[in-house]
Formats: sequence, C-alpha cells, structure tokens
Amino acid sequence: MLELHDLSVDIAGVPVLRRVHLNVPPGGRVALIGRNGAGKTTTLRALMGLLPVREGRITIDGRDATALPAHHRPRLGIGYAPEERRLFGSFSVRENMLLPAQVLKLPAAEIARRLDAVFTLLPELQDLAPRRAAGLSGGQGKMVALGRALMVGTRAVLLDEPFQGLAPALAQRYAEALARLHQALPEVAILITESNPELLRSLVERSFAIERGEILPA
Amino acid sequence: MTAWFTDNGLLLGLALLDGLAYAALVFMVAVGLNLVFGVLRIVNVAHGSLFAIGAYTAASIGLFLAAHGLPPVASYGALLLAAVLVGAVLGPPIERLVLRRVYGHEDALQLLVTFALFMILEDVQKLVWGVQPVANDAPMKYLGTVDVPFGEDVIPFTAYQLFVLPGLAVLTLAGLAWFLRRTLTGRVIVAVTTDKEAAMAMGIDATRVTLLTFTFGAALAAFGGALASPTTSLVPGVGAQTIVLSFAVVATAGLGQIEGAAVSALLIGLGRSVAVYFAPEFEVVVPYIIMVAVLLVRPQGLFGVPETRRV
Repeated sequence: MLELHDLSVDIAGVPVLRRVHLNVPPGGRVALIGRNGAGKTTTLRALMGLLPVREGRITIDGRDATALPAHHRPRLGIGYAPEERRLFGSFSVRENMLLPAQVLKLPAAEIARRLDAVFTLLPELQDLAPRRAAGLSGGQGKMVALGRALMVGTRAVLLDEPFQGLAPALAQRYAEALARLHQALPEVAILITESNPELLRSLVERSFAIERGEILPA
Repeated sequence: MTAWFTDNGLLLGLALLDGLAYAALVFMVAVGLNLVFGVLRIVNVAHGSLFAIGAYTAASIGLFLAAHGLPPVASYGALLLAAVLVGAVLGPPIERLVLRRVYGHEDALQLLVTFALFMILEDVQKLVWGVQPVANDAPMKYLGTVDVPFGEDVIPFTAYQLFVLPGLAVLTLAGLAWFLRRTLTGRVIVAVTTDKEAAMAMGIDATRVTLLTFTFGAALAAFGGALASPTTSLVPGVGAQTIVLSFAVVATAGLGQIEGAAVSALLIGLGRSVAVYFAPEFEVVVPYIIMVAVLLVRPQGLFGVPETRRV
C-alpha cells in the first residue's frame, strides 16, 4: 500500500536518503531499523510529503504520490505519529485527537465512532481526554500521538520511534496496544521505526535495516 | 504627594484617558502582527503601512460620503469598509507574491524584504494621498464629548475615544479568543502557529491558512488605522510610529498571547501617554523601557507559553 521506489532525499543540500526502496503491503506490519541519524525519520517525513524528493517515487495504493502535498495524506487514510509526539500543547488531548478528523470534514457521527474505537483500543486516553496536552508525560504523549494518528489512519499509520525514551513498563503497554491494534483493525498497515531490533521482534512481520540513508540488503 | 496631586491630578486623569484610547488602537495593530508572526514566522515591518493605508482609506471614504450628503453615522460604515477593502486588496498579493518567497529564509533577509515593502507602500501612500495632512473627524464629532468626573474636577473627553475605541478593542479581544479556541478555522490557525509541520501532517493546508491569516492580520491593522483616523490628522510617518510601538507590545506580551497583547498594549499605551504629559522628552523611549524591564525578568514575555514537557 505504501511504496518507496529508489527514493533520494536531500536536506539543506546534504544527501540523507540514497535510493531507498521499501514497501509496506496492505495490513502489513513493517519495521524500519537503524541507528540515530541513519535516515528513519527522514524516510517517514518524505513518505508524509514533508520533504522534497530529489529522485525516485512514492506510491500510495499504486498511485504516484511523490508530488502530492503533505496535507492530502490523511485523506488517503494515512496517520502519522511523529518523533517527539508533536502534540498541540494548548489543546486538550481530545481536541488533539479530533483535529485531523475535523480537518477532513468527516461527518460528526463518523468522528464520534472513530473516537470511540480509539478509546476502546487505548483505554487510558479516555481519562486523559480533558487534559491539556502540554502537561502530559512523555509516555502519555506517545499514546495520544498514536491515538491521533489512528483517527485518520484507516489504511496505514506511520510511527516514528514510539518506544524511544519510554520506561520499560510503558514500552510494554505501548507494545500491547500495538498488538491489540493489529487484532482489532487488521486492515491498517503499520510502519514503525526503531533503533533496537529486539523490541519489535514479535510485533512486525518484516524488517528493513537502514544505515547512512541506504536500505541494507536483507 | 497630595500637593502634587492637586497640581497635576487633572493632567494625570487626561493621560490615563488618552492612554486607554491609544492602547486600544495599538492593541488592534499588535494583535494582528502577533497572529501573522505566529503563522508566517516573519516580523512584518509593512504591517505599519497597512495601518496607515487603512487610516487614509477610511478618511477618504468618510469624506467622500460626507461630500455626497450622507449623515456622519455613515462614516462608521466607512471605517469597517476601509479595513475589509485594504485587507482584501493588499493582503493576498503581499503574501502570495512577496512574503511566500522568503519563508524559512534567514531573519535578516525577511526583515529587509518587509522593510522594502514598507518603504514602497509608504511611497504609494504619498502618491495617492500626498504629504498634506488628511483629516476626517466626523465620526468622533458625531458622538460629542462626555464629562468624566475626576476627583473634584471633570475632564471633557470625546465619547469616541472613551467608549468606541476601548469597546471595540475589548470586542476584538473576546471575538478573537472565541474564534481561535472554539472554531475549527481558529484551531487550525493555532495548530499551524504551534507546529506547522505537524499541522500539515494532520491534513491542514498550511498554504491556505497562511494566506488567510495574513489577510486577516492585514485587515486588523487597517481596522486599527481606520479607527485611529478620526482622532488625528494623517501625515506620512504615521505607519512607522505605529509599527514600532506594536513591536514593543508584541515582544512584551510574548508570542501567541492575545490576552497578553491586550495587557501589554494597556501597559505601554498608558506608559507612553503618562510620559507625553509629564516628561515629553521620554515619550519615545518609555515603551522600550517597559519592554526591556519585562524582558529582563521574563525573556519569553509577560505571558509567553511554557514549553511542552519533553519527557
């Protein structure tokens, strides 16, 4: 459903991705493993249309999305939980989660249904809902970012280093939430980045390793 | 102290009333500047030109209406019309054709570009309205004066400056707070202000929001100018004076704080007008003394938002 064909991306004139080739099948669970600075975040940002592509192509559901503006991604059913959460601090947790669905102008009933579905999947968000996002702890923020991505991510969610900085108990809870997600919504593809391959072993079907902006041969 | 008050009480009262009216005008301009900076990340020096052109446009429309025999109350419509007109006519081309080219570039370049824009608009304004003073105080005269009791004395003060200006400033503040918090468009603007990339990834068309915000900010500046026009004779340089003061207000308040902009506009407006009456040689520096004093204690401004917790 998501495919990168020999994608090269520069940031400020410096090549960061070199001919990255990667694909995530519909409903597939794929990990992108690499050290800090290897190009994981850049890969996801490029997929989201947030960086200009120098060479290569991005396709979503077989259609060319290389030049598709970033804000059209959520309409295609792609949710994104960036590194560092990037929640809107002055909004409540509920407002953060609702925003992408409201921007898509989904019918109110559909938004309510999706919010309920996310609360069922991630029950701790229900208690956090009225709180201001700026006051959350790192672990809570990661859960909210996942919930927000799921509000529009009906086809795929891109999770950028969700385990980084989480205490072991929280990481465990987050992993359980991802397992539940796959059970409840098997049609949603998951692309997840991580520096430690051990953490994701039981969660994904396929791993790509990235180093210095290149995908290593399997 | 009592003796001083007997001698100068009346002057102080006048300074406070003047300061309140002035603060209301500065707030209109500063809040637009703040909004525009939040979304575009550009300090728009030309914001002052929009104020000036709004003022001239309002005066011209008002004079035109009066010349055609319309009652003075019609010139209130002229104030609003001028704001909408200037925002709609100048806002989109400035954002699309000029500012859009320098987003994300170094601050010095952005400042140079908006300063150039400011100079161009200043000359356009001289070309259209000339350098002779333009004045239309009909809206202010229409409401007459009110005797404000102050101690044992009364201060006659125009109802326009006493009620209309502060009233509209409060209305703008409340309306804007409601708009930014309760409407989707408002929340989208806040989201882009907070984190543009994250907002785009949530499906927000940042290009559209930028255009919208700039046009709205331009209209607010022009509205400030339009409201100021009945209180003064318009001469070249009125834009520069306003923008300089608005910068001080925004820096003192902290980014993204509209209530903060109101408080600091009040602080700086009152400070300036007290200086005008009691130490006129300090008129120009008082806003900066206030700004520097605040920034020394709180570098993020009086109401700067605390950073999101990282861990």
